[in-house]
Amino acid sequence: MPLGTLDRSPPPFFKQGPSALSKLILYSAMALFLMVADSRFHMAQPLRAVLATALYPVQWLALQPVRAARAVGDYFITAQQAQTQSQNAASKLAAQAARAGQVEQLSLENNRLRTLLDLREQLKVEGMAAEVLYDAADPYTRKVIISKGMSSGIALGSPVIDESGVLGQVTLVHPLVSEVTLIIDRDLAIPVLNVRTGVRSLAFGDATGGGGLELRFMGSNTDVLQGDLLTTSGVDGVYPPGLPVARIDRIERRAESAFARIHCIPLALVSGVRHVVVLKPLSSQIPPRPAETVPALPVKKGGKP
Amino acid sequence: MIMRGGQQLLLPASPVFIWSSLLAALLLEMLPIGRTPWMPDFLAMVLVFWNVHQPLRIGIGLAFMFGLGVDVHQTALLGQHALSYTTLSFFATMIHRRLLWFPVPSQAVQVLPLFFAAHLVELTIRLINGDVFPGWSFLLAPIFEALLWPVVSVILLVPQRRAPDPDENRPL
Repeated sequence: MPLGTLDRSPPPFFKQGPSALSKLILYSAMALFLMVADSRFHMAQPLRAVLATALYPVQWLALQPVRAARAVGDYFITAQQAQTQSQNAASKLAAQAARAGQVEQLSLENNRLRTLLDLREQLKVEGMAAEVLYDAADPYTRKVIISKGMSSGIALGSPVIDESGVLGQVTLVHPLVSEVTLIIDRDLAIPVLNVRTGVRSLAFGDATGGGGLELRFMGSNTDVLQGDLLTTSGVDGVYPPGLPVARIDRIERRAESAFARIHCIPLALVSGVRHVVVLKPLSSQIPPRPAETVPALPVKKGGKP
Repeated sequence: MIMRGGQQLLLPASPVFIWSSLLAALLLEMLPIGRTPWMPDFLAMVLVFWNVHQPLRIGIGLAFMFGLGVDVHQTALLGQHALSYTTLSFFATMIHRRLLWFPVPSQAVQVLPLFFAAHLVELTIRLINGDVFPGWSFLLAPIFEALLWPVVSVILLVPQRRAPDPDENRPL
């Protein structure tokens, strides 16, 4: 019985259940087993999906104050702010109009040239708009939760973009929501192409968790300059080619290392983004890899057959 | 019954209130406020509180289940919060007979190592798993939790401190 509390029933004297220590051992072992199953064997996904669906009402309830605050904030926007925003949008649209006109003509020309040269058709990219529900609170990774899930047909591994560039990749699909790992997460790699030089490389999230990207394994004599634009290269079969990813911010060439440290800033709004587009991964459209032909083993001289 | 000197005799705790307080703490935990390592873990505080005050009702198994829920919500490693809450709950059960003999400010000092251990368990697991160090501000979280312990104690004991026979002068 709790100390100093008036309880109506007497505490059990003999039937105390398992001791606290045995419970600790049991539940710790279960937790350790789950962690290993989750991180090493990736088997915990069904349990995660079940728990996520069960927690969805509570999550929805917790999101309401934030949504209300956003709605109120949007309502009380001043006329001046609204005018600035609309002017910005109009100037952006005017700047893009010329390019958009060119794109029509260029894609027509490109298609003709491709048929002329008998190249493969360019891959079509379909998108689906989604809303970012919240930033995952886990301080060790960089993820966001979006409002579309398995029920809307989101596929695992889909690239996610916002209006200014690649935001990340869908890494976990629950029935109603899905989880997007941002490109600044340390464990996410994205193949990029330097637009100025055409050099392909891999961009990883910053290992220190500083919110940037890093081009790893680039020799210290590589041709990179501050301000170079990196776009997706399209060699991975996930991201469509040509989406802007990042801009090079800082290059540290050190004498003792064969590699340069190249720090980039992501173009997408990695913190505070609200609307995103989930693209279909390209892997479904790519023809399968040709079967490897096994070279005939050379027969040893004098060897037994 | 053993009584502490100068302390009020408390009414029995209502299970509905216990559960709704846990649910409210879960809601607070799920508020989308971004990645803040220094944020106090409200659910852990409420779990420790009920572990200390009602160890027969709220035990280690429940702490484990709530931990799994938090893991899924935060998209953390599955089992990380479960292990940390299990540890927290175990130590809370271990000290629950002793803790209530102290006044509330001293209780806060005594639960500080518990919260610290829980956060250290999470950090150790994630570093072993090869994740990024979240920054030293995570050390503030257990301190905030210990500082909020008196507040939590007052709020969660309010329904048990009501008058046993409400009348005109004492409506609550």
